[in-house]
Amino acid sequence: MANAPGPVQDIEFTLNGDPVSRTASSRQLLVHFLRDDLGLRGPKIGCDTGHCGACTVNYNGKVIKSCMTLAVQADGAEIETVESLAGESGELDDLQESFRENHALQCGYCTSGVLMSSKFLLERNPKPTAEEIREGIQGNICRCTGYVNIVKAISAAAHGDKGLDLIERMNREHSQEVRG
Amino acid sequence: MLLAAVDYYRPDTLDEALEALVSTEGARPLAGGQSLVSILKLRAASVELLVDISRLEDLRTIEVADDGAVRIGAGVTYDEMATSPDLHQSYASLSNIAAHTVDAQVRNRGTFGGNLCHNDPINNFPPVAVALDAVMHVTSKNGDRDIAAGDFFTGYFANALSPDELLTGVTLPALDGRSIGYQEVEIGEAAARAVAVVATSNGNIESANVALGCLPIPMRAPGVEAALAGAPTTAEAVAEATASAADGIEPLTDADASADYRLAMASVVAKRAVMEAIEGGHHG
Amino acid sequence: MTAPTTEKVATTPWTGQSLPRKEDERLLKAQGSFVDDEGMYRQGYAEFVRSPYAHARIVSIDVSAAEALAGVITTLIGDEVKAMTEPLFQFAPKEDGSQMNEYLLGVDIVRYQGEAVALVMAETREIARDAADLIEVEYEPLPVLLDGVAAAEPDSYVLHDSLGDNIAWKGLFDWGDIEWALEEADHVVKIDKLHFHRYSSTPIECNAILVNWDPGTDMIRVVSNNQFPMFGALVIGPSMGVGVDQFDFVSQDIGGGFGIKINSYTHIGVLALLSRKAGRPVKWTETRTEHHQSGGHGNERTFLDIEVPVMADGTMLGYKMRAFDDAGAYLHYEPLGAVIWSQVVPGPYKLKHVQVDYTETLTNKCPAVPNRGYSRMQHIWFLERVIDLVAQELELDPVEVRKLNYIQPEDYPYTTPNGCVYDSGDLPTALDMVLEMIDYEGAKQLKEERAGSGKRIGIGIGTTLDSGTNNFGQSRILNPELPFSGNGEACTALLDLYGEVMLKLGTNPQGQGHETTGSQVAADILGMSPENIRVWAGFDKSHSAYIGFSGTYASQFAVTGINAIIGAVEKLKAEIIEVAAHAFGAEQDQVELVDGEARIIGNPEAAIPFIGIANMVFANNSTLPHEMAERVSLTCRHVYVPKFELPDVEKKYGNLTLTYSSQTHAAVVEVDEETGKVQILDYAVVDDCGKRINPMVVDGQVHGATGLGIGAALREAFEYDEDGQLLNSNFLFYHAATATDVPNIKTDHIESPSPFSGTGAKGMGEGGGAPLHTISSAIQDALGPGKAIVSDSHNPPERVWRLLNWDGPADERGVSVASKGTTS
Repeated sequence: MANAPGPVQDIEFTLNGDPVSRTASSRQLLVHFLRDDLGLRGPKIGCDTGHCGACTVNYNGKVIKSCMTLAVQADGAEIETVESLAGESGELDDLQESFRENHALQCGYCTSGVLMSSKFLLERNPKPTAEEIREGIQGNICRCTGYVNIVKAISAAAHGDKGLDLIERMNREHSQEVRG
Repeated sequence: MLLAAVDYYRPDTLDEALEALVSTEGARPLAGGQSLVSILKLRAASVELLVDISRLEDLRTIEVADDGAVRIGAGVTYDEMATSPDLHQSYASLSNIAAHTVDAQVRNRGTFGGNLCHNDPINNFPPVAVALDAVMHVTSKNGDRDIAAGDFFTGYFANALSPDELLTGVTLPALDGRSIGYQEVEIGEAAARAVAVVATSNGNIESANVALGCLPIPMRAPGVEAALAGAPTTAEAVAEATASAADGIEPLTDADASADYRLAMASVVAKRAVMEAIEGGHHG
Repeated sequence: MTAPTTEKVATTPWTGQSLPRKEDERLLKAQGSFVDDEGMYRQGYAEFVRSPYAHARIVSIDVSAAEALAGVITTLIGDEVKAMTEPLFQFAPKEDGSQMNEYLLGVDIVRYQGEAVALVMAETREIARDAADLIEVEYEPLPVLLDGVAAAEPDSYVLHDSLGDNIAWKGLFDWGDIEWALEEADHVVKIDKLHFHRYSSTPIECNAILVNWDPGTDMIRVVSNNQFPMFGALVIGPSMGVGVDQFDFVSQDIGGGFGIKINSYTHIGVLALLSRKAGRPVKWTETRTEHHQSGGHGNERTFLDIEVPVMADGTMLGYKMRAFDDAGAYLHYEPLGAVIWSQVVPGPYKLKHVQVDYTETLTNKCPAVPNRGYSRMQHIWFLERVIDLVAQELELDPVEVRKLNYIQPEDYPYTTPNGCVYDSGDLPTALDMVLEMIDYEGAKQLKEERAGSGKRIGIGIGTTLDSGTNNFGQSRILNPELPFSGNGEACTALLDLYGEVMLKLGTNPQGQGHETTGSQVAADILGMSPENIRVWAGFDKSHSAYIGFSGTYASQFAVTGINAIIGAVEKLKAEIIEVAAHAFGAEQDQVELVDGEARIIGNPEAAIPFIGIANMVFANNSTLPHEMAERVSLTCRHVYVPKFELPDVEKKYGNLTLTYSSQTHAAVVEVDEETGKVQILDYAVVDDCGKRINPMVVDGQVHGATGLGIGAALREAFEYDEDGQLLNSNFLFYHAATATDVPNIKTDHIESPSPFSGTGAKGMGEGGGAPLHTISSAIQDALGPGKAIVSDSHNPPERVWRLLNWDGPADERGVSVASKGTTS
C-alpha cells in the first residue's frame, strides 16, 4: 500500500537482483519509496534540489539521484543500491575496502552515494586520473573529508597502489599541471 | 521535500502521450525530471497528470544526415549525447558540452529537450540552440510544426509550446567547418554564458553567430556578429568586436551575481567563446 | 601515559598508529543507524509551519482544516506551547533582569524567515506535508532589521520588547595599555572595517528527531542527531517543567555536525510536547530548506575602527577595535561567542596591548550558533588580515613580519594578555615547512612571470590556532551568576560476563572516529588488541557515562574523551589485577595484562584469561573475599576534569582553554582579472596537534576543516535580501564545495606535545578557519600594494572583480598609516 493520499500505481522492478512488486504513490519519490516502503538505509536524503547526491542509486546501469525520480518511474527498471556492493557473506568489495583503508569517510552519510558514483565512474573509466575522479563524483557533496581521501581511495582502488606514494604522485602531477 | 498528489501515466507511444496531454487538464510531460521534479517538490506548479515521455523511443534517437546536420531527439539524455559516437564525430563540441553538463547523475537522467523546454536561465542548451539556428520540431494532436530556436524561448521558464504540444526533437544544421566556442563564468551554476559558432578562413572570421545565455531569453548579439564578420582572428580584434556584447541584454540579479556583474561578463564570455571557436572549438 | 604498562612484554603501542576505523564497515555497507533509519511503533510524522516573513505579528492561526484532513493526528501552535511552558533559559540577562522571552515555538511575533509557528502530526510524511499547507496563518508584517551594527543604535527598532534594546551582550575587553602602545608605536595602521561573513558547514544530514513521551512512564526518549544533548537538556528541561532524568537521549551515527547540530534542542522540546499531546511517538526530518533558513548559521562579525600600533622593525604591540556579532533573532548557545573568541586574543602573535569594545546584537536573521571554528576563527581571520595589511602598508615581508611576531618555541608555556596559557608549539618551523610545500620561491617567480597576463598569482599564508577543551568558567564573564566552570568528560569501562571489554563514552561523535581512537588508547593499557575492545556505538543516556559537558564539540575529545577513557580503563585494569593477584596468591605488582590475560610477570604459563576474572566477579563470587566481591564491579566509571580555575570576571582574565593546536596554511592562487574568479593552484597545511593518537584520523580532520574553509572563503555565504528573505535556502544557491572546487590538499605535521593534557595530545578538528585567512591573504597579495583591500572573508568572483576594478582615491582604500613625525 502507498503512503500518500492520491493516485497509486502498481510497479515491478528489480532491486539489487531481486524482483519487487509493489504499489507506489504516484507522487512518491524513489528515495522515499526505497527507504520508507522497502526499508533500505543506503539511499540518504541530504537536500531538496538534487544537489547533494546522498540518494544516488544505479538505475539501468547508470547512476541517478533517487530524490529526482518518482518511484513509479522505477517500473521495469533494474535498480542497485549500495546494499548490493558487499559480498554474500558481508565482506566489503574492493572499492569499499579502499575507502576503509584510506579513511575516505568520516560521518558516513554521503558515503552510500559516493560509493555508487565511484563505482559507475570506474565502470566507465577503469583508470581515471585524479581530475577525472573529481569530475566523476562532482554530483556528491561531502562535508567531512575535503574529498582528499575519497579521491585517494578511488584512485587506489583503480590503480592498485595505495598510501602516501599515491598522494605524493598526485601532488607532483598537480604542481606540474598548474605551473606548466 | 514531498510532492503534492499527482497522477502519473507512462504511454507506450507518442500518440498516446499527445492524447494524454489534451485529455487531462493540468497534464504536463515528464522527461528526465531533473528540473520538473524540483518544481513539484516546491509545489510551485499545479500539475494533475505527469505524462512520462522518457521512454518513448521516437524521442530517443540521434540521427546524422549526409550533409552533416544532426537531429537529436528531445528525450536523449546529456549522457547519451556525450557518449554518442555519431554526435562526437559530427558535433564534437556539443558532445563535449553535454559531457560536462552538471554532474554524472543529472547527465544520466536529464534530457536535451527538457533542458530546452524548461528554459531556466541557468540551463546551458538554450543559448546553444539559438547560436546554432537550431530548428525545434514540435508535434501535437493537430499536427507537426517547426519553430526556429530564436522564436522558441519566450521568457523566464517559458517557451512557445502550447500545453498540448511536445518538443520531439531538434535539428542542428551542418557545421560546415564552423567551430563552436562555449564559455561561462561559473558561480555554483553559470552566472554568464556565451556560445559562438565561427567560420574562419585565412586568418579572418568569415561568419560568427554569438548567443548569450543566463538570460530569461537567450539572445543573439547581432552587433557583435556584424563586427566579427571579416575581422582578423586575433585576440585584439575579437576583444574589440565583442566589447559590445552586453548591449540590449537585461540579466538578472540573484544571490550569485548582480546584473552589473553579468553585464560586464557578457563581453568576457563572448570574447572567450569566439576565441575558443577560432582555436578549434570547445573541448570541455 | 598511553605507553604499554607492562614491563616484561614489549609491545608496539596502538596509540599513534593509523588504524582503519571500526566505524567504517557498517557505514560502508549502509548498516549505520542515522535517525531517519530508526522508527518507533505507532510513530507519526511532524511537519512545521514556518514564517515566510522575517518579522511579523501573528494575527491568527487556524488549524481546523488541517485537523479535518484524514490521517492527521494532532496539531500544536505557539499559544498552546506558551500555556504549558516557560521561556527558555537565557545565559546573560541584563543587570536589571530584563531578557528576551523565547518559547519552543513562535509566540505572538516571528522574528526571522523560517521561524516555526505551528506543527502538525500525521500518519505519514506526505499527509503531514499536505496538512501543513492547510494551516492558515495570518501575519501582520513588521519592519525588518538586518544590520548587526545598526541594530545597536539607540533609536533602532527593538526586536524583543522585554529586552528593551537589541543588545544581546556588550563588554569592554582591555588588557595591557593600548593607549600607551598607540602613543609609543612608530606607526599606527588603521583599518576602517573588516567583515567576517555568515555561513555554515551545512552537514549533509539535516536535523532529525524521533521522540516518544511515554504516557505510562513519563519518560521522554529522544533519538536525535543533536551533538550536545546535555546542553539541550539543561535549557529545555526547565522550560518544559521536566527533569533531566526524564530524558533518554539516544544517537548512534550522526551525519556531520560541525557545531550546527547543537542547535536542535528547541525542536526536541516542541516535538516532545507534540508527542505528549498525541500520546504517540513522532518523527521529524528537517528539509534542506528548513535547515538553511532556521537550522543555525555561523557567527557574522564586523570589526570597526581598527588601530594597530607597530614598531619600525615590524613588531606589533597589539590592537584596538570595535567588534559586532550579529546573533540573529534569538540566542541559541549565544552569547557565549562573545567570550569564546578571547581564548585566542593575540592569535599566534606576541601582542600585549589589546582593547576590544565588543557588542553582540539581535537582528531578523536565523539564530547564529556554533560552527566549526566557532568565534575564534572570526577573530584569527581578523588578526591575519591585520598582519597582512600591516606588512603591505609598511612594505614589510609577510613571512618575516609573521616570524618576528610569532610566539617563539621557547616562549611556551605562553601567557596571553588575558591569562590564557598556550601550551606548546613551533610556529616558525611550521611556516618554513608549509612554504616549502608550496615551493614559495617558485610561486614568487611564477607571480612575476604571470604579471600582465590577465591571470594574476597571489600567495597567501594563514596561521591559526584551534583551542580545545574550554574552561566553561569563561561564561561567567558574560554573567558572574552563571553556575558553569571547568569542563570534562566521562567514560565507563567494563568487563562483561564472559570477559569482553567494552567502553561506553559520554561523547556522540559525527564521524570523528571515537570508537577507533578510544579502543587504541584502551588497548595499550589493557595489553590487548583494539579489535577485541568494543566501544559502544553512539550514545544512550540510559546507560552511557556522561556529565553536563558530554557531547562532541569544540575540539576536545583527544583531551577530555581520551583522558576519561584512560582513567576508566586504568581503574578497570586495577580491578582486574587485584582479582588476578588474589587468584594467583601474588602481589598486585607481580601481575601484568597481556593478550587478554592476567599473567604473573615473567611466567606466561601462570595466566588467567579475562573470562576467568569476569567469572570470579560476576558468577563465581564466593571464590573472592566478601569485601572484594562487594567492592570490585569491573564496571569502572571515570570522569576526567581538566585543572581550571575561575577567571577573574572583572578583568576578564584567566586560563580559558587547556590546549592549543596550531595549523599553518599556504596557498598559491590564480585570479582571473576579467572575471574575478579565484582558482587555487596549490594548497598545503602543516598541522601541530601534539601527540597524534591516530594520524590518519587527524589528517582527515585537517582535510575536512580545510575543505569547508575553502568553500566558505570562495563560495558559501548566507545572505538576505532587504526584506529578510534568505537568498541561499538550498544547495542551488548555497554552493557547498564539490570535489571539483577543492584542490588536493597537501598535509604535513609537527608534534609539539601538550604538557597539560596528560597524553601530550591536543584537541583538534575545528581547524581554526585557516583557509579563510589564507585565501583572503592570497587575494590581497594578488591585488598588490596601494590597491583595494580584502575586507570580507567571503570572496566570490563578483567581489574580487570589484576589488580588481576599484580605482577610488587612496584615502578611501579603508586602510591608512600614521607614522611618527608625519601626519597622514
